[in-house]
Amino acid sequence: MRILLAMVVALPLAAQTPPAAPPPATPAPATPAPVAPTPAVFAQTAAPAPAAPAADTKAEASPVPSPEPDISGWVDFGYRWRSGVNGSLETYRSVVNLGSGPKLFGADLTLLDPKKRFFDSMHIRASGWGGDPYGTFHLDASKSKLYRFDADYRDLSYFNNLPSYADPLLTRGIILDEQSFDTRRHIGSYTLDLLPGNWFVPYLAYDRDANSGNGVMAFTQNSNEYAVPTSMNDRTNLYRGGVHFELRRFHATIEEGGTTFSSGQSLYQSPGAVNPGNLNTPIFGQTLDLTSAAASYGITGSSAYTKALFSSNAFSWMDIYGQFLFSQPSSNVHYQENATGNLYLPSEIVFYQSEQYLVSAAAKLPHTTASLGAEIRPLKRVRMTESWLTDRMHDAGNSSSMQTIVPVGGAQQTALLLQSSLVSDYNQVETNLFFDVTSHLTLRGGYRYVWGDASDAVLPQGGELTGSEQAKLRRNVGLGGIVYRPIQKLLLTAETEVASSGGVYFNTSLYDYQKVRMQARYQATTSLSLALDFTYLNNENPTPGINYTFRSQQEAASIFWSPNSGKLITFQGSYSWSSIRSDIFYLVPETLTQATSDYSENAHTATALFNLNLGHWGVVAPKLTAGGSLFVSSGTRPTRYYQPMAKLWVPMSKHAQAFAEWWFYGYGEAFTPYEGFGTHLASIGMRYTR
Amino acid sequence: MHNIKSFLFCALLVTAARAQVAPPPAASPYVGSEACATCHEDIAKAFATTPHHLADGKDKKRGFDGKACESCHGPGAKHAGSADAADIRNPAKLSAAAIDGICLTCHVNQPTHMGRLESSHAKDAVACTTCHKIHATAPEVLVVRKTEAINKQCEGCHLTVAAQFQKPFHHKLPEGAMNCVDCHNPHGSMKQAMTQSFGANEPGCLNCHGDKRGPFTFEHGPVRFEGCATCHAAHGSANPRMLDRPQVQQVCLECHANLPVNTTGHLGVVPPAFHDLRSPRYQNCTVCHQKIHGSYVDRNLLK
Repeated sequence: MRILLAMVVALPLAAQTPPAAPPPATPAPATPAPVAPTPAVFAQTAAPAPAAPAADTKAEASPVPSPEPDISGWVDFGYRWRSGVNGSLETYRSVVNLGSGPKLFGADLTLLDPKKRFFDSMHIRASGWGGDPYGTFHLDASKSKLYRFDADYRDLSYFNNLPSYADPLLTRGIILDEQSFDTRRHIGSYTLDLLPGNWFVPYLAYDRDANSGNGVMAFTQNSNEYAVPTSMNDRTNLYRGGVHFELRRFHATIEEGGTTFSSGQSLYQSPGAVNPGNLNTPIFGQTLDLTSAAASYGITGSSAYTKALFSSNAFSWMDIYGQFLFSQPSSNVHYQENATGNLYLPSEIVFYQSEQYLVSAAAKLPHTTASLGAEIRPLKRVRMTESWLTDRMHDAGNSSSMQTIVPVGGAQQTALLLQSSLVSDYNQVETNLFFDVTSHLTLRGGYRYVWGDASDAVLPQGGELTGSEQAKLRRNVGLGGIVYRPIQKLLLTAETEVASSGGVYFNTSLYDYQKVRMQARYQATTSLSLALDFTYLNNENPTPGINYTFRSQQEAASIFWSPNSGKLITFQGSYSWSSIRSDIFYLVPETLTQATSDYSENAHTATALFNLNLGHWGVVAPKLTAGGSLFVSSGTRPTRYYQPMAKLWVPMSKHAQAFAEWWFYGYGEAFTPYEGFGTHLASIGMRYTR
Repeated sequence: MHNIKSFLFCALLVTAARAQVAPPPAASPYVGSEACATCHEDIAKAFATTPHHLADGKDKKRGFDGKACESCHGPGAKHAGSADAADIRNPAKLSAAAIDGICLTCHVNQPTHMGRLESSHAKDAVACTTCHKIHATAPEVLVVRKTEAINKQCEGCHLTVAAQFQKPFHHKLPEGAMNCVDCHNPHGSMKQAMTQSFGANEPGCLNCHGDKRGPFTFEHGPVRFEGCATCHAAHGSANPRMLDRPQVQQVCLECHANLPVNTTGHLGVVPPAFHDLRSPRYQNCTVCHQKIHGSYVDRNLLK
């Protein structure tokens, strides 16, 4: 009874002054990030975001954005003329490949649906349509909390026919790149995220990569090679879907995907033509030739893969993450070729007049990758990162072939069964320690150990480039870095890696190396910013007989100047000097004498771009953009490549601007001057803006 | 039993008494985004166009609903009272690690966090806000998505890399056909140079060069073990096909150096003596070994 009485008394009393919910120290997750608002952190007022101190300042004083219309953006269209190519058209097409004709130079549109029925916003971008070598189209649309859709499509032209590149016949005055092609590649990528922003985000995606075209390749027949036309087509489809789980302290992604692949390359030479091939030296008094050939690859492939990722803010002082990836692509091949002519088989010392070669092969490549890591913050000024990675793959292939040759006297058949194996087991552990000496200065030191084993085998033994080999990788790497912000507008960073190896896979692999990178960024005034970048790599493999030395160094500086907020002129320019020097020993195959493979390149690269407001000329206020880039190198392959340009904009109305553009492309190479070219391109067009 | 009842009775009385004299509720250190917008109207309007504004209405999970501004700037009551900039946290003036810490309060559980610790961006104190402009007032945006804008942003720091794209043989970045993010994941990757991957763990180069994927019956080891960069300068080169050397034979012989694996411990066996380098037939190895990335049918990569 007394209890009931007490409750009756207590409840109204309690109701009179309802206890206020104690305000959280921070909004949930109650464990603010380790750098969250502490008085000490507030005191760290020295440094801006490293790369954009001015931008952040600018953001604080942002103008009031104007209301956006339903459709906004611009479209550039017009016509381009190309002058005759002065020099090698083939090289021009291999390097630049822009042509004449009507063009959609670019478009960038934003659509907003005020009623938000099917989408909140949609962005459409396109460039390079109308026969240009690289056309792109992008569309993304989203509706808040419901979906986000991205579509990206590219139509790329791959033309490569450099007269000197692969021409064994050059000394005979025949210019024919036997490794040339003229193909188009269509790349599409489509992604749909559902319920973005929720804790559960499913997604679906489809990617397609298709290539088709023609070219020239060498049809290799034992003792001779014959350049023949080839047609290429291949398609890769990638399907994937997964789910993101986004909880307050934990994220996980699980994705399943698969691919299909097909390729149907073929080589052919019509019957009747006589192809003498690259060898013009008679063998036992006979010259070799090819009178017909047909070869086709029927390749199909597929794979399935699994991806699982997680990250977690397990404690306020520790983040952990991990991932597990597994893929297993496989391929099946049916190859057949038929050839006629006067052909020669050196292993049998026999001439034959026709040949058939059939191959059935298959390969499978299970590939597993896993990693685990953590960021630990034991003290306010100290952070430590730990990571572990393993990557293991095992390619196993087998082939069954049957070659039939028909010499005078009857057919001979040779059957061969081969098995191949390529195995890699790569592992890496790394530790880094970060120490904030002051709010302006952070030091980093770390250690990485890399180890692995690799093997490459084809059984039974035989053949030139394949056998049975094993190699080990053992590398100790010391890491260091410094970030220094002496004043708010100046950022200096430097990092270095110093490594010593006990074994590597290849002669030219990173062995005992030192890597340095330094950067400086300075916002001198609101209208002037400067940046410097320096990289250096020295790699040496002292193994006797190899004595590999590789040094590369690059220094670059850039400036952006926009006085008076760019009302009259803006200028951006950069200059880079780079140097590469490489020396390595090898034994010349035919004599086994020692030789050195030297390579050197000293290059100067500069880009500059002026934007000038030309003032009012009557009722119009034209603008001029001018500049370009140049690349000049000396050394093993002295090369020059110039791209000056100018573009004039003339506003015609509130929504329309006319433009005229000029480009020049000039290329020259000292040792093969017949590959140089020079070409003018001129365009006129309109930009419609809304 | 009697004692227990007495104890409970007393406890209730004490509780009631404490409730009666409880102090008035402490003033919240938070003022809410509407209060911020009173003075910072322009920023508030611009901010409302970014995905972050969702925190104002719907982020009950993290407790930031209605406090989007303060989710990054910290409690604003003191600043609202004094109007003194010193009384509010300005992330732009914090160290990169401190800025990242603020962002990762929410974004720690995002897939983009994966690989951050292996990323050189995180190691070199490149803060999230270096690339992501939170207030996103034009022309800046929270997430740069346009090809030219992505390339320009990356070039701002990576000057030496930008210069490599001015070499005659290059991936078509300056032409706008590609952007840096096509090949690199700026948030980090388990792969070297923060490169993207294809599928789960295959090299990102295969996103466009699917015909080089295989698996081949007869692989070329360096392609699998050390990737395309073994022979190609991916950003740009003065040499055809973006090769590291102007002549293909140089590229090949530097590994296939006639030094057997048992003497060097390296992979790469001996080319046979009939390869007479004085003959033009042997000066470009890929004329014959045309399937240099791997062959489906020939152990010597001839077809």
